[in-house]
Amino acid sequence: METETLPARMIRVDVSGLSHAGKVRSVNEDHFAIMTLQKAVQLRATNLQDTTLLDRLRKPQVDIFVVADGVGGGVGGKIASGVAVKAVVEYLAEAVGCVQDFDVDRENAFLEHLSQAVQHGHHRLKEMFQTQGGPATTLTMVTLVWPRAYVIHLGDSRGYFLRRGTLRQFTRDQTMGNYLVDIGAVTEQHAEKAGLYNVLSSAVGGDFVPTVGVVDLADGDALLLCTDGLTKHVSDERIAQILGSLNAEGAVHSLIDAALDGGGTDNVTVVVAKAE
Amino acid sequence: MIQKKVCMVGVFATGKTSLVQRFIHSLFSTKYHSTVGVKIDRKQVQVGTEQVNLLLWDIEGRTAEQEIPDSYLKGAHAVLYVADGTRRETFEQLFSLRDHVRSAAGDVPSIVALNKYDLKNQWVVAAADGKKLIDGGFHMLTTSAKTGEGVEDAFRWVAKTTLSGATQTVQQPDHHGN
Repeated sequence: METETLPARMIRVDVSGLSHAGKVRSVNEDHFAIMTLQKAVQLRATNLQDTTLLDRLRKPQVDIFVVADGVGGGVGGKIASGVAVKAVVEYLAEAVGCVQDFDVDRENAFLEHLSQAVQHGHHRLKEMFQTQGGPATTLTMVTLVWPRAYVIHLGDSRGYFLRRGTLRQFTRDQTMGNYLVDIGAVTEQHAEKAGLYNVLSSAVGGDFVPTVGVVDLADGDALLLCTDGLTKHVSDERIAQILGSLNAEGAVHSLIDAALDGGGTDNVTVVVAKAE
Repeated sequence: MIQKKVCMVGVFATGKTSLVQRFIHSLFSTKYHSTVGVKIDRKQVQVGTEQVNLLLWDIEGRTAEQEIPDSYLKGAHAVLYVADGTRRETFEQLFSLRDHVRSAAGDVPSIVALNKYDLKNQWVVAAADGKKLIDGGFHMLTTSAKTGEGVEDAFRWVAKTTLSGATQTVQQPDHHGN
Protein backbone atom coordinates (compact mmCIF):
# COMPACT_ATOMS: atom_id res chain seq x y z
CA MET A 1 0.00 0.00 0.00
CA GLU A 2 1.30 3.40 -0.94
CA THR A 3 0.78 6.33 1.41
CA GLU A 4 2.33 9.73 1.67
CA THR A 5 2.54 11.81 4.80
CA LEU A 6 1.27 15.29 4.18
CA PRO A 7 3.22 18.35 5.13
CA ALA A 8 2.27 19.97 8.40
CA ARG A 9 0.72 23.41 8.50
CA MET A 10 3.31 25.95 7.43
CA ILE A 11 3.20 28.25 10.43
CA ARG A 12 2.98 27.22 14.03
CA VAL A 13 2.43 30.02 16.48
CA ASP A 14 4.20 29.60 19.79
CA VAL A 15 2.07 31.65 22.15
CA SER A 16 1.80 32.07 25.87
CA GLY A 17 0.10 34.45 28.30
CA LEU A 18 0.35 35.22 31.99
CA SER A 19 -1.26 37.64 34.43
CA HIS A 20 -0.17 38.67 37.93
CA ALA A 21 -1.78 40.94 40.53
CA GLY A 22 1.57 42.58 41.28
CA LYS A 23 3.07 43.36 44.66
CA VAL A 24 0.74 46.09 45.83
CA ARG A 25 -2.80 45.43 44.68
CA SER A 26 -4.95 42.72 46.18
CA VAL A 27 -7.24 42.38 43.18
CA ASN A 28 -6.09 41.54 39.67
CA GLU A 29 -8.25 43.63 37.33
CA ASP A 30 -6.49 42.33 34.20
CA HIS A 31 -7.69 39.54 31.94
CA PHE A 32 -6.35 37.94 28.80
CA ALA A 33 -7.42 35.30 26.31
CA ILE A 34 -5.61 33.34 23.63
CA MET A 35 -7.65 31.41 21.11
CA THR A 36 -7.29 29.66 17.81
CA LEU A 37 -10.20 29.36 15.42
CA GLN A 38 -10.06 26.30 13.24
CA LYS A 39 -12.55 24.77 10.87
CA ALA A 40 -10.79 22.57 8.41
CA VAL A 41 -10.57 18.99 7.31
CA GLN A 42 -7.21 17.64 8.27
CA LEU A 43 -6.10 15.13 5.66
CA ARG A 44 -3.50 13.11 7.52
CA ALA A 45 -2.26 10.87 4.71
CA THR A 46 -3.16 9.99 1.12
CA ASN A 47 -1.76 8.65 -2.09
CA LEU A 48 -3.81 11.07 -4.17
CA GLN A 49 -1.80 12.72 -6.91
CA ASP A 50 -4.05 15.73 -7.24
CA THR A 51 -2.77 18.14 -4.62
CA THR A 52 -5.24 20.88 -5.51
CA LEU A 53 -7.57 19.10 -3.11
CA LEU A 54 -5.24 20.08 -0.31
CA ASP A 55 -5.37 23.72 -1.28
CA ARG A 56 -9.15 23.68 -1.14
CA LEU A 57 -9.20 22.00 2.24
CA ARG A 58 -6.59 24.25 3.74
CA LYS A 59 -8.09 27.14 5.71
CA PRO A 60 -6.08 29.89 7.23
CA GLN A 61 -5.39 29.49 10.90
CA VAL A 62 -6.78 32.40 12.87
CA ASP A 63 -5.14 33.13 16.22
CA ILE A 64 -6.66 35.76 18.47
CA PHE A 65 -4.99 37.37 21.46
CA VAL A 66 -6.67 39.81 23.83
CA VAL A 67 -5.48 41.70 26.90
CA ALA A 68 -7.71 43.95 29.01
CA ASP A 69 -7.04 46.10 32.06
CA GLY A 70 -10.14 47.01 34.03
CA VAL A 71 -10.59 50.46 35.51
CA GLY A 72 -13.14 51.62 38.01
CA GLY A 73 -11.60 50.40 41.20
CA GLY A 74 -11.44 47.02 42.87
CA VAL A 75 -14.04 44.52 41.81
CA GLY A 76 -15.61 46.84 39.22
CA GLY A 77 -12.46 46.89 37.10
CA LYS A 78 -12.04 43.15 37.38
CA ILE A 79 -15.62 42.59 36.26
CA ALA A 80 -15.24 45.05 33.38
CA SER A 81 -12.16 43.43 31.86
CA GLY A 82 -13.59 39.94 32.44
CA VAL A 83 -16.93 40.77 30.86
CA ALA A 84 -15.29 42.42 27.85
CA VAL A 85 -12.89 39.56 27.15
CA LYS A 86 -15.60 36.95 27.67
CA ALA A 87 -17.97 38.80 25.35
CA VAL A 88 -15.32 38.99 22.64
CA VAL A 89 -14.61 35.26 22.96
CA GLU A 90 -18.33 34.44 22.84
CA TYR A 91 -18.97 36.60 19.81
CA LEU A 92 -16.08 35.14 17.90
CA ALA A 93 -17.06 31.61 18.84
CA GLU A 94 -20.51 32.24 17.37
CA ALA A 95 -19.08 33.99 14.32
CA VAL A 96 -16.42 31.37 13.79
CA GLY A 97 -17.81 30.47 10.38
CA CYS A 98 -17.57 34.04 9.17
CA VAL A 99 -14.07 34.42 10.50
CA GLN A 100 -12.97 31.14 8.97
CA ASP A 101 -14.29 32.19 5.59
CA PHE A 102 -11.65 34.89 5.67
CA ASP A 103 -9.95 35.76 2.45
CA VAL A 104 -7.92 38.79 1.57
CA ASP A 105 -10.49 40.09 -0.90
CA ARG A 106 -13.08 40.27 1.85
CA GLU A 107 -10.92 41.50 4.64
CA ASN A 108 -13.05 44.60 5.15
CA ALA A 109 -15.93 42.37 6.16
CA PHE A 110 -13.55 40.39 8.33
CA LEU A 111 -12.41 43.56 10.09
CA GLU A 112 -16.04 44.47 10.59
CA HIS A 113 -16.60 41.18 12.43
CA LEU A 114 -13.63 41.83 14.67
CA SER A 115 -14.85 45.33 15.45
CA GLN A 116 -18.30 43.99 16.22
CA ALA A 117 -16.80 41.47 18.63
CA VAL A 118 -15.27 44.30 20.64
CA GLN A 119 -18.44 46.36 20.35
CA HIS A 120 -20.32 43.36 21.73
CA GLY A 121 -18.16 43.58 24.86
CA HIS A 122 -18.87 47.30 25.11
CA HIS A 123 -22.64 46.82 24.89
CA ARG A 124 -22.55 43.95 27.36
CA LEU A 125 -20.78 46.16 29.87
CA LYS A 126 -23.14 49.05 29.28
CA GLU A 127 -26.10 46.77 29.86
CA MET A 128 -24.67 45.50 33.14
CA PHE A 129 -23.80 48.92 34.51
CA GLN A 130 -26.44 51.31 33.29
CA THR A 131 -24.98 54.30 35.05
CA GLN A 132 -22.68 56.90 33.62
CA GLY A 133 -19.13 56.41 34.80
CA GLY A 134 -19.46 52.69 35.50
CA PRO A 135 -16.45 50.40 35.26
CA ALA A 136 -14.63 50.26 31.99
CA THR A 137 -11.63 48.49 30.54
CA THR A 138 -8.81 48.83 28.09
CA LEU A 139 -8.78 46.22 25.39
CA THR A 140 -6.09 45.38 22.87
CA MET A 141 -6.85 42.56 20.48
CA VAL A 142 -4.70 41.11 17.73
CA THR A 143 -6.13 38.68 15.23
CA LEU A 144 -3.31 36.91 13.48
CA VAL A 145 -3.91 35.41 10.06
CA TRP A 146 -0.27 34.88 9.30
CA PRO A 147 1.48 37.07 8.38
CA ARG A 148 -1.17 39.75 8.88
CA ALA A 149 -2.02 41.00 12.35
CA TYR A 150 -5.32 42.88 12.61
CA VAL A 151 -5.34 45.20 15.60
CA ILE A 152 -8.26 46.66 17.53
CA HIS A 153 -7.28 48.86 20.41
CA LEU A 154 -8.86 50.93 23.16
CA GLY A 155 -7.16 52.50 26.17
CA ASP A 156 -3.56 52.29 27.28
CA SER A 157 -2.66 48.64 27.09
CA ARG A 158 -0.11 48.15 24.35
CA GLY A 159 0.93 46.09 21.37
CA TYR A 160 4.52 45.73 20.19
CA PHE A 161 6.48 43.65 17.74
CA LEU A 162 10.16 42.88 17.79
CA ARG A 163 11.92 42.68 14.43
CA ARG A 164 15.65 42.10 14.13
CA GLY A 165 16.21 43.40 17.63
CA THR A 166 14.13 46.56 17.25
CA LEU A 167 10.98 46.92 19.33
CA ARG A 168 8.13 48.88 17.74
CA GLN A 169 4.90 49.88 19.40
CA PHE A 170 1.95 49.63 17.02
CA THR A 171 -0.70 50.98 19.38
CA ARG A 172 -0.96 54.48 20.74
CA ASP A 173 -2.17 55.08 24.27
CA GLN A 174 -5.67 56.54 24.27
CA THR A 175 -5.31 58.87 27.23
CA MET A 176 -6.66 62.34 27.97
CA GLY A 177 -3.04 63.49 28.08
CA ASN A 178 -2.36 62.41 24.52
CA TYR A 179 -5.72 63.69 23.31
CA LEU A 180 -5.42 67.16 24.85
CA VAL A 181 -1.80 67.56 23.81
CA ASP A 182 -2.73 66.49 20.28
CA ILE A 183 -5.41 69.13 19.93
CA GLY A 184 -3.12 71.73 21.46
CA ALA A 185 -5.27 72.29 24.56
CA VAL A 186 -2.46 71.63 27.04
CA THR A 187 1.28 71.16 26.99
CA GLU A 188 2.96 67.82 27.65
CA GLN A 189 4.29 69.21 30.92
CA HIS A 190 0.82 70.25 32.01
CA ALA A 191 -0.65 66.89 31.04
CA GLU A 192 2.07 65.09 32.97
CA LYS A 193 1.67 67.27 36.03
CA ALA A 194 -2.11 66.97 36.03
CA GLY A 195 -1.96 63.19 35.69
CA LEU A 196 -3.82 63.28 32.38
CA TYR A 197 -1.76 60.42 30.96
CA ASN A 198 -3.39 58.21 33.59
CA VAL A 199 -6.92 59.03 32.45
CA LEU A 200 -8.30 57.05 29.52
CA SER A 201 -9.89 58.98 26.65
CA SER A 202 -11.41 55.82 25.20
CA ALA A 203 -12.31 52.45 26.70
CA VAL A 204 -14.71 49.55 26.46
CA GLY A 205 -17.63 50.58 28.66
CA GLY A 206 -16.57 54.23 28.48
CA ASP A 207 -16.17 56.57 25.51
CA PHE A 208 -15.87 53.92 22.85
CA VAL A 209 -13.50 55.03 20.08
CA PRO A 210 -11.56 51.99 18.92
CA THR A 211 -8.59 52.33 16.62
CA VAL A 212 -8.18 49.72 13.92
CA GLY A 213 -4.94 48.81 12.25
CA VAL A 214 -2.91 46.23 10.42
CA VAL A 215 0.68 45.09 10.77
CA ASP A 216 2.25 42.51 8.50
CA LEU A 217 4.68 40.39 10.45
CA ALA A 218 7.76 38.65 9.12
CA ASP A 219 9.50 35.39 9.96
CA GLY A 220 11.30 35.71 13.25
CA ASP A 221 9.12 38.52 14.60
CA ALA A 222 7.81 38.35 18.15
CA LEU A 223 4.51 39.90 19.11
CA LEU A 224 3.72 41.29 22.56
CA LEU A 225 0.45 42.50 24.05
CA CYS A 226 0.64 43.86 27.57
CA THR A 227 -1.09 45.97 30.17
CA ASP A 228 0.61 49.06 31.58
CA GLY A 229 1.77 47.14 34.63
CA LEU A 230 4.62 45.97 32.41
CA THR A 231 5.62 49.16 30.66
CA LYS A 232 5.67 51.36 33.76
CA HIS A 233 8.42 49.16 35.20
CA VAL A 234 10.32 47.58 32.32
CA SER A 235 12.25 49.50 29.66
CA ASP A 236 11.85 48.89 25.93
CA GLU A 237 15.45 47.67 25.81
CA ARG A 238 14.80 45.03 28.45
CA ILE A 239 11.55 43.95 26.77
CA ALA A 240 13.38 43.59 23.46
CA GLN A 241 16.12 41.56 25.09
CA ILE A 242 13.63 39.16 26.68
CA LEU A 243 11.49 38.78 23.56
CA GLY A 244 14.54 38.17 21.42
CA SER A 245 16.11 35.50 23.57
CA LEU A 246 13.34 33.27 24.90
CA ASN A 247 10.44 31.20 23.63
CA ALA A 248 6.92 32.47 24.32
CA GLU A 249 6.49 30.72 27.64
CA GLY A 250 9.93 31.74 28.87
CA ALA A 251 9.33 35.30 27.74
CA VAL A 252 6.01 35.78 29.56
CA HIS A 253 7.51 34.54 32.84
CA SER A 254 10.59 36.66 32.41
CA LEU A 255 8.55 39.78 31.56
CA ILE A 256 6.32 39.35 34.60
CA ASP A 257 9.39 38.81 36.79
CA ALA A 258 10.94 41.97 35.39
CA ALA A 259 7.79 43.98 36.18
CA LEU A 260 7.71 42.63 39.73
CA ASP A 261 11.43 43.32 40.19
CA GLY A 262 10.80 46.86 38.96
CA GLY A 263 8.24 47.47 41.69
CA GLY A 264 5.11 45.55 40.70
CA THR A 265 2.90 48.49 41.61
CA ASP A 266 0.15 47.48 39.21
CA ASN A 267 -1.46 44.35 37.83
CA VAL A 268 0.57 43.05 34.93
CA THR A 269 -0.50 40.89 32.01
CA VAL A 270 1.46 39.81 28.96
CA VAL A 271 0.79 37.71 25.89
CA VAL A 272 3.72 36.77 23.68
CA ALA A 273 3.47 35.10 20.27
CA LYS A 274 6.24 33.91 18.02
CA ALA A 275 5.78 32.31 14.62
CA GLU A 276 7.88 29.23 14.01
CA MET B 1 -23.08 50.23 0.77
CA ILE B 2 -20.23 50.70 -1.65
CA GLN B 3 -16.85 50.39 0.07
CA LYS B 4 -13.59 51.58 -1.41
CA LYS B 5 -10.12 50.97 -0.07
CA VAL B 6 -7.95 54.06 -0.40
CA CYS B 7 -4.24 53.79 0.37
CA MET B 8 -2.39 56.84 1.67
CA VAL B 9 1.26 56.60 0.72
CA GLY B 10 4.30 58.82 0.85
CA VAL B 11 7.62 59.44 2.48
CA PHE B 12 7.58 59.63 6.28
CA ALA B 13 6.38 62.83 7.94
CA THR B 14 4.56 64.24 4.91
CA GLY B 15 1.28 64.48 6.79
CA LYS B 16 -0.69 61.39 5.76
CA THR B 17 -2.10 60.81 9.23
CA SER B 18 -2.79 64.50 9.69
CA LEU B 19 -4.80 64.62 6.47
CA VAL B 20 -6.91 61.70 7.64
CA GLN B 21 -7.37 63.31 11.06
CA ARG B 22 -8.42 66.57 9.47
CA PHE B 23 -10.82 64.85 7.07
CA ILE B 24 -12.44 62.59 9.64
CA HIS B 25 -12.25 64.47 12.94
CA SER B 26 -11.57 68.07 11.81
CA LEU B 27 -8.54 68.00 14.07
CA PHE B 28 -4.91 68.91 13.61
CA SER B 29 -2.02 68.10 15.90
CA THR B 30 1.39 69.70 15.65
CA LYS B 31 2.85 66.73 17.49
CA TYR B 32 4.34 64.16 15.13
CA HIS B 33 3.58 60.47 15.63
CA SER B 34 5.06 57.95 13.30
CA THR B 35 2.53 55.38 12.10
CA VAL B 36 3.56 51.77 12.59
CA GLY B 37 2.00 49.40 10.08
CA VAL B 38 -1.34 50.71 8.88
CA LYS B 39 -4.01 52.68 10.65
CA ILE B 40 -7.46 52.18 9.17
CA ASP B 41 -10.20 54.78 9.38
CA ARG B 42 -13.46 55.01 7.58
CA LYS B 43 -15.73 57.81 6.46
CA GLN B 44 -18.91 57.95 4.46
CA VAL B 45 -18.95 60.38 1.60
CA GLN B 46 -22.00 61.36 -0.39
CA VAL B 47 -21.39 61.42 -4.13
CA GLY B 48 -24.51 62.46 -5.98
CA THR B 49 -27.15 59.99 -4.87
CA GLU B 50 -24.61 57.37 -3.74
CA GLN B 51 -23.02 56.87 -0.34
CA VAL B 52 -19.42 55.70 -0.52
CA ASN B 53 -17.69 54.26 2.51
CA LEU B 54 -14.03 55.19 2.17
CA LEU B 55 -11.69 52.87 4.04
CA LEU B 56 -8.58 54.94 4.48
CA TRP B 57 -5.44 52.85 4.85
CA ASP B 58 -2.90 55.22 6.32
CA ILE B 59 0.31 53.32 5.58
CA GLU B 60 3.49 54.04 7.50
CA GLY B 61 5.78 56.36 5.63
CA ARG B 62 8.51 55.17 3.34
CA THR B 63 12.06 55.54 4.55
CA ALA B 64 15.40 54.99 2.87
CA GLU B 65 15.55 51.56 4.51
CA GLN B 66 11.96 50.53 4.12
CA GLU B 67 9.82 50.09 1.03
CA ILE B 68 6.02 50.02 1.39
CA PRO B 69 4.99 46.36 1.63
CA ASP B 70 3.02 45.20 -1.43
CA SER B 71 0.62 43.40 0.87
CA TYR B 72 -0.71 46.70 2.22
CA LEU B 73 -1.41 48.01 -1.27
CA LYS B 74 -3.21 45.02 -2.73
CA GLY B 75 -6.88 45.55 -3.39
CA ALA B 76 -6.67 49.35 -3.31
CA HIS B 77 -9.33 51.14 -5.33
CA ALA B 78 -7.43 54.41 -5.25
CA VAL B 79 -4.16 55.85 -3.97
CA LEU B 80 -3.64 59.20 -2.36
CA TYR B 81 0.05 60.11 -2.57
CA VAL B 82 1.18 62.67 -0.05
CA ALA B 83 4.23 64.88 -0.53
CA ASP B 84 5.47 67.70 1.66
CA GLY B 85 5.72 70.89 -0.39
CA THR B 86 8.53 72.09 1.84
CA ARG B 87 10.71 68.98 1.35
CA ARG B 88 11.77 68.48 -2.21
CA GLU B 89 12.80 64.83 -1.81
CA THR B 90 9.24 63.88 -0.88
CA PHE B 91 8.10 65.26 -4.23
CA GLU B 92 10.93 63.68 -6.18
CA GLN B 93 10.11 60.21 -4.91
CA LEU B 94 6.55 60.31 -6.20
CA PHE B 95 7.28 58.71 -9.57
CA SER B 96 9.26 55.80 -8.13
CA LEU B 97 6.60 55.39 -5.46
CA ARG B 98 3.97 55.19 -8.15
CA ASP B 99 5.95 52.52 -10.02
CA HIS B 100 6.02 50.48 -6.87
CA VAL B 101 2.33 51.03 -6.13
CA ARG B 102 1.34 50.12 -9.67
CA SER B 103 3.22 46.85 -9.47
CA ALA B 104 1.25 45.92 -6.35
CA ALA B 105 -2.16 47.53 -6.86
CA GLY B 106 -2.39 48.10 -10.60
CA ASP B 107 -3.27 51.33 -12.36
CA VAL B 108 -5.86 52.65 -9.94
CA PRO B 109 -6.99 56.30 -9.72
CA SER B 110 -4.29 58.39 -8.10
CA ILE B 111 -4.07 61.85 -6.68
CA VAL B 112 -1.16 63.76 -5.21
CA ALA B 113 -1.72 65.95 -2.18
CA LEU B 114 1.07 68.49 -2.01
CA ASN B 115 0.68 69.03 1.68
CA LYS B 116 1.69 71.70 4.23
CA TYR B 117 0.51 74.54 2.02
CA ASP B 118 0.16 76.64 5.16
CA LEU B 119 4.00 76.87 5.03
CA LYS B 120 3.94 78.79 1.75
CA ASN B 121 7.04 80.76 2.64
CA GLN B 122 9.03 77.51 2.77
CA TRP B 123 7.51 76.03 -0.40
CA VAL B 124 10.06 74.38 -2.67
CA VAL B 125 7.82 72.86 -5.33
CA ALA B 126 7.68 75.13 -8.36
CA ALA B 127 4.90 75.52 -10.91
CA ALA B 128 6.98 73.53 -13.40
CA ASP B 129 7.13 70.67 -10.93
CA GLY B 130 3.37 70.65 -10.65
CA LYS B 131 3.12 70.52 -14.41
CA LYS B 132 5.48 67.57 -14.41
CA LEU B 133 3.13 65.71 -12.12
CA ILE B 134 0.11 66.48 -14.25
CA ASP B 135 1.97 65.55 -17.43
CA GLY B 136 2.95 62.35 -15.68
CA GLY B 137 -0.69 61.42 -15.20
CA PHE B 138 -1.33 62.51 -11.64
CA HIS B 139 -4.27 64.49 -10.48
CA MET B 140 -2.90 67.04 -8.02
CA LEU B 141 -4.06 69.37 -5.27
CA THR B 142 -2.30 71.48 -2.72
CA THR B 143 -3.50 70.75 0.79
CA SER B 144 -2.98 71.85 4.34
CA ALA B 145 -3.94 69.48 7.12
CA LYS B 146 -3.40 72.41 9.47
CA THR B 147 -5.91 74.80 7.91
CA GLY B 148 -8.03 72.19 6.15
CA GLU B 149 -7.44 73.79 2.78
CA GLY B 150 -7.90 71.33 -0.08
CA VAL B 151 -8.40 68.33 2.21
CA GLU B 152 -12.10 67.75 1.63
CA ASP B 153 -11.57 68.29 -2.10
CA ALA B 154 -8.84 65.65 -2.24
CA PHE B 155 -10.90 62.94 -0.56
CA ARG B 156 -14.02 63.89 -2.48
CA TRP B 157 -12.08 63.53 -5.73
CA VAL B 158 -11.05 60.07 -4.61
CA ALA B 159 -14.61 59.07 -3.70
CA LYS B 160 -16.01 60.38 -6.94
CA THR B 161 -13.36 58.79 -9.11
CA THR B 162 -13.54 55.37 -7.48
CA LEU B 163 -17.28 55.44 -7.84
CA SER B 164 -17.12 56.27 -11.52
CA GLY B 165 -14.70 53.38 -11.95
CA ALA B 166 -12.44 55.63 -13.93
CA THR B 167 -8.81 54.79 -14.24
CA GLN B 168 -6.19 57.42 -13.75
CA THR B 169 -7.10 60.66 -15.39
CA VAL B 170 -5.05 63.58 -16.50
CA GLN B 171 -6.73 66.78 -15.42
CA GLN B 172 -5.86 70.29 -14.62
CA PRO B 173 -6.11 70.77 -10.88
CA ASP B 174 -9.22 72.60 -9.79
CA HIS B 175 -7.80 73.81 -6.52
CA HIS B 176 -4.47 75.57 -6.17
CA GLY B 177 -2.78 73.38 -8.75
CA ASN B 178 0.60 74.78 -9.64
